[in-house]
Amino acid sequence: MSSKLWAIVKREYIERVRSKAFVIGTILGPLLMAAMIVVPSIAARSKGKALRLAVVDAKGDLGPAVEAALAEQKTDGRARFQVVPAKEIGATEADFKQAVIEQRLDGYLALPADVVETANASYYGRNVSNFSDLRSIEGTAGGVLVSRRLEAAGLDASRVKSLTRELDMKKIRLSETGEREDRGAAMFLALILLMILYVSILVWGQAVLSSVIEEKTSRVVEVMAAGVPSTTLLLGKLVGVGAAGLTQFLVWAASLFLVSLASAGAISGLALPEITPMMLVSFVVFYLLGYFFYSALYAAIGSAVNTVQEAQGLVFPVMLPLVMSMICWPAVLQAPDGPLAVTTSMIPGMSPLIMFLRIVILQPPMWQILLSMALLVLGILAVVWFAARVYRVGILMYGKKPTFPEILRWVRHS
Amino acid sequence: MSEDALVLKGIRKAFAGHVAVKDLSLSVPRNSIFGLLGPNGAGKTTTLRMVMNILGTDAGTIEILGQPADHAARDRIGYMPEERGLYPRMVLEEQLVFMAAIKGLSSDEAKKRIGPWLERLGLADWRKRKTNELSKGMQQKAQFVATVLHQPDVLIVDEPMSGLDPVGMDVMRETLIDLRRSGATIVLSSHQMQTVERLCDRVALINRGEKILDGAVSEVKASYGKNTVALAFDGDGSFIEGLACVAKASDFGQYLEVRVAEGHDPQELLQQASAKLRLRRFEIVEPSLHDIFVEAVTSHGKEAA
Repeated sequence: MSSKLWAIVKREYIERVRSKAFVIGTILGPLLMAAMIVVPSIAARSKGKALRLAVVDAKGDLGPAVEAALAEQKTDGRARFQVVPAKEIGATEADFKQAVIEQRLDGYLALPADVVETANASYYGRNVSNFSDLRSIEGTAGGVLVSRRLEAAGLDASRVKSLTRELDMKKIRLSETGEREDRGAAMFLALILLMILYVSILVWGQAVLSSVIEEKTSRVVEVMAAGVPSTTLLLGKLVGVGAAGLTQFLVWAASLFLVSLASAGAISGLALPEITPMMLVSFVVFYLLGYFFYSALYAAIGSAVNTVQEAQGLVFPVMLPLVMSMICWPAVLQAPDGPLAVTTSMIPGMSPLIMFLRIVILQPPMWQILLSMALLVLGILAVVWFAARVYRVGILMYGKKPTFPEILRWVRHS
Repeated sequence: MSEDALVLKGIRKAFAGHVAVKDLSLSVPRNSIFGLLGPNGAGKTTTLRMVMNILGTDAGTIEILGQPADHAARDRIGYMPEERGLYPRMVLEEQLVFMAAIKGLSSDEAKKRIGPWLERLGLADWRKRKTNELSKGMQQKAQFVATVLHQPDVLIVDEPMSGLDPVGMDVMRETLIDLRRSGATIVLSSHQMQTVERLCDRVALINRGEKILDGAVSEVKASYGKNTVALAFDGDGSFIEGLACVAKASDFGQYLEVRVAEGHDPQELLQQASAKLRLRRFEIVEPSLHDIFVEAVTSHGKEAA
């Protein structure tokens, strides 16, 4: 009996692991993750060449101050703007426009005569999508304007500046294991882990669905059902496919861990959030629990239909809790101990994602974690019981796609 | 030890709205080749599925090799369903090892047995190939190997010849006979009456979920009497079907098979036919299983209606 179950588990596992999709997915996943972490930080550093700017000042008294202020702006220690003196370009705005079009200039800032009063100016450039540069130009020129107005009112601009300095607040995450500064990386990590969890549960649940349908289409299921009870068949399939999923999941998790270790050294300024053993354990546990919950439902659906297309209509209602969790997470992130977060982290279909997110952000009380897991396990037992009954009838049903009431009748009668 | 390999007592199965098998009882003697016959939808597949516990019975009992049907007893059966099924992306050898493991055979033992079987059925070159590269006929043979690899005491095969070329059919027939010789019991379900007639010791005919005929092939034929005539002639024989002494005439091309109506003598037919035709052959023959099948099913249908 158990040797038959083992044979089924082994077959399912080997068939998945050998497939091209598995190999590609297992390799591509970590690459994508690495790209998600590394590319933005590289992109942030490689801004390209300094922008060639000119300042056209209609009145003539602001220009030099703005030029000087722009020339001082730096990113990563290098001057961001190369200020071209207005004289070199010409006298009229038409000359400047020509210069931009001929690419002798990247852009110019036009300050009208009444700019100090109206605070209205224009920037002309070939590219006006470079938000961070534009914001920097706007802020720099604005600073000069404010200084002018302060001086006109008889105040010392530098003194006002130092008196009105804004607060710079560091965010330090405090936990039992110590404290560390966090510049949004904890949330970033939580979201990456959440996405991996979501995608893995979905992808491997789908794998169970198509595997059940394939056994039906290739008619091999009758041969199998003649050899083993349908519950053994179902269990072997769930465990075998799940083991393949776990393999990929662990490869992903391990490479995520390595990538974050490596990038911590490589990228200065990105303090890595702490990955606690509790996080790692609950990552794996909630993946497995979530997988079994949803894959059993997927198996039930797969057994009831003839094609993957037919399954889609039935899949959606079943997947609703998972999708709901993806809708709820921003709210949970805001208030990880709020009533919404606590309630949804107890609902079996939602707890794999929500409770895991809560554990990553702010470790909830132990009793809540255990209660959530216990409810989820009960949920899995109920779902497997249901799925086994649908499966036993469904695998031999060909032809018309059954309706939900019909499926419920199978459950009652088997 | 029970005399029978398979005993079904009053088994019954109803699906939503209709009864597929009605209180069916059957005994399959050990070491026989048993033909399970019946028109489409008669309940043959449902019956076989109940034997394999793919479907549960609503009533009745099933005994396998003298024991109540349980998992251990079912492992002694090899079942080849009408709907063939192999995993399309599996290598043939792994597939066979796996199918045997499902029946409780170790993979070492399975690998030893695969070689000779593939050799015998002409699949030796395909051992390391994926199943979906095999032709339909080859898959059919592969399915058969998967069915017999664990050396079942009882073999249940549904349409074993379909999809095979004449050479393949011969190999299959010889293989079945060999298996019987080595002690196996074979239950064969088929619509190919010639195959059944040549192979089977006993037959049972099922219609609308009920057994309407059961017995040794020779007994069944004898019970239909010596009233069938094979007739070959030159000339236009179309009038024969209209003769009073003829119940039914089936044209087989080379000859006409005529069943003489009840209360008439084949001699009447001989006289009337020889008066108008030049006869090449006039032979009183046993009715074919084909005709018995058709007549039994038709008359049962009238009774039921």
